[in-house]
Amino acid sequence: MTRIRRVLIANRGEIAVRVIRTLRELSITSIAVFSEPDRASLHVLLADEAYPIGPGPAAESYLDLERVIATARAQKADAIHPGYGFFAESVAFARACEEAGIVFIGPRSDIIAALGDKLAARAAARRAGVPMVPGTEAPLATLEELRAAARGIGYPLMLKAAAGGGGKGMRRVAREAELESAWSLTRGEAQAAFGDARIYAERAIERPRHIEAQIVADAHGRVAFLGERECSIQRRHQKLLEETPSPAFDARLRARFAEAACRIAKQVGYLNAGTVEFIFEDGEFYFLEVNTRLQVEHPVTEMVTGLDLVAEQIRIAEGAPLSFGDAPPAPRGWAIEARVLAEDPAAGFMPSVGRIERVRFPQGPGVRNDAGVYRGFEVPVYYDSLLAKLVVWAGDREGARRRLLRALDEFVLEGVSHNLAFHRWLLTHPEFVAGNLSTRFLDEHFDPAALQAGPESAEVALFAAALHEREERMRIAVAEPNGSQARSSWKWPERRRSGVRELR
Amino acid sequence: MKLWVTLEGRDTEVDVRLEGGHLVLETDGRRLDADFHRLPDGEVYSLLVNGRSHEVRVSPASQGVDVTLHGVRLPVEVRHPLEKLVQASKRAAAGGGGETVAAPMPGLIVALRVKPGETVAAGQAVAVVEAMKMQNELSARHGGVVSAVLVRERDAVSAGQPLVRIRPA
Repeated sequence: MTRIRRVLIANRGEIAVRVIRTLRELSITSIAVFSEPDRASLHVLLADEAYPIGPGPAAESYLDLERVIATARAQKADAIHPGYGFFAESVAFARACEEAGIVFIGPRSDIIAALGDKLAARAAARRAGVPMVPGTEAPLATLEELRAAARGIGYPLMLKAAAGGGGKGMRRVAREAELESAWSLTRGEAQAAFGDARIYAERAIERPRHIEAQIVADAHGRVAFLGERECSIQRRHQKLLEETPSPAFDARLRARFAEAACRIAKQVGYLNAGTVEFIFEDGEFYFLEVNTRLQVEHPVTEMVTGLDLVAEQIRIAEGAPLSFGDAPPAPRGWAIEARVLAEDPAAGFMPSVGRIERVRFPQGPGVRNDAGVYRGFEVPVYYDSLLAKLVVWAGDREGARRRLLRALDEFVLEGVSHNLAFHRWLLTHPEFVAGNLSTRFLDEHFDPAALQAGPESAEVALFAAALHEREERMRIAVAEPNGSQARSSWKWPERRRSGVRELR
Repeated sequence: MKLWVTLEGRDTEVDVRLEGGHLVLETDGRRLDADFHRLPDGEVYSLLVNGRSHEVRVSPASQGVDVTLHGVRLPVEVRHPLEKLVQASKRAAAGGGGETVAAPMPGLIVALRVKPGETVAAGQAVAVVEAMKMQNELSARHGGVVSAVLVRERDAVSAGQPLVRIRPA
């Protein structure tokens, strides 16, 4: 067993803050790294130590492998937590840690490599006897091979890059006439995006749910299933809201699902925390991929199990057994997470940057905020748009849904565009309330016009504007010397500060 | 004090006055008690209308003010009745202005889709700006003829920076 005493967090934002919190609770020294625009970021303020690693663009700082490793060495870190994104699933980074004698808090580099390749991951799932979407087992060498495979699979089908992931390098093919152009386009994209043109084909599932299994595996041969997470609410393949358990699951289905996820993990000799992603339709689940990292949405699992997944990761990395031995805690109640993003859902989810002029986080029973921002913080342009994760827990789904709505009502966030109103719309949509979810939910139900203010809000805005105007005019009138305000009240606009309509 | 308040193209007359030390709003023949209290947070107010509690931010905007309510921003113009008349006559004289497409956030110009002299339709993309790892198309709201392209591809732009000017066709 290696005792971990100093951990460098190779990340930023809310996930770096999340990891620092657990380290503090475990009396482990936290070492933050930061880019120039992140000098005043929350993770720098909360860490025990913090070191600069370069300018704003991620490629020159958070993704500068040599500099991150050199910083870890210089500061005598005995482990690195990669968070998610950046180096979290980088074979090269995990290998560099191994070579530097620093513990990478995650799976070994060879496991990351084996699962990062989709065809290799599918082969592992096949060996483990886990159901997957019917498709080709080997990369397709020629268009003729694809044609032959397509006859077996049927249409519509998906072409996917073997090296792909995160929704990139995939294309839907509706009929045979599209096959030839889709073949060359997808191969070209795969080559450009991943430097690897290998592609394979599988049947398209048109209206799936996205449901994933949280697993943890220790160095003593234990693999535990910690419940499923339903992550069907997405846009552009990015998850927006997650919950556990899934409203689509019952105990029997969950048992089959857990067994499948653990079989894959055992098949590849998995170690540490990971997520096995599946798509689910008509009562059947199909293996999609394994994410060899802590997921953004891990807090919902923590809420219902009472576990600290970062603490489990550190135990596993130290070679200690899972904290619960052979008996994972039975999940209790329901948890939902809303990702609070700096973007404007009414304008095509356009990202937004700026200064957090004002923020007041919701509080009260069953509410958890994992935020990376505070009042006055400038949201940098270089990184993703996740500002905070609002997570709630309640005894059942309806209780959690109402609690999240309540928390969203309390949430004040100003200075950047954000998606709080979008989440309110989502949580009150009858199909969401009924638990009828799919990854097509937004395509089918979301109309940006739904986010416009209702008549009551509009009236309140009118009143506020009128009262504000009156206040401004009174203020200027009071400031006016010689009592000239008594004569003419509509000359003042010319002198008012910017923003109030002027006479020209 | 009578004011014309315009939201989403609709004018509403609101009379605001002080009666016995209390604010009263009158609109559409209704009379409402109001209390408008500035919070220590700057542009933020607690607004009570007949006792119903609202938290609103009122911030200056290019045209009037932006009222933010539950994270939704509503642009509102407020005018005195006389200003409204002046405004209407000026608008009639000018015969409608053009539009300027500006960068909504700091970023990098990835592509410019139009050239000066080109006719663009409402909703047509004129430029692509990359920010926060995402590419975003900016489009003309009303359309017209491109009178000026003010930036070049690969230029870094700041929030609000004008990119393309369009005059009515």
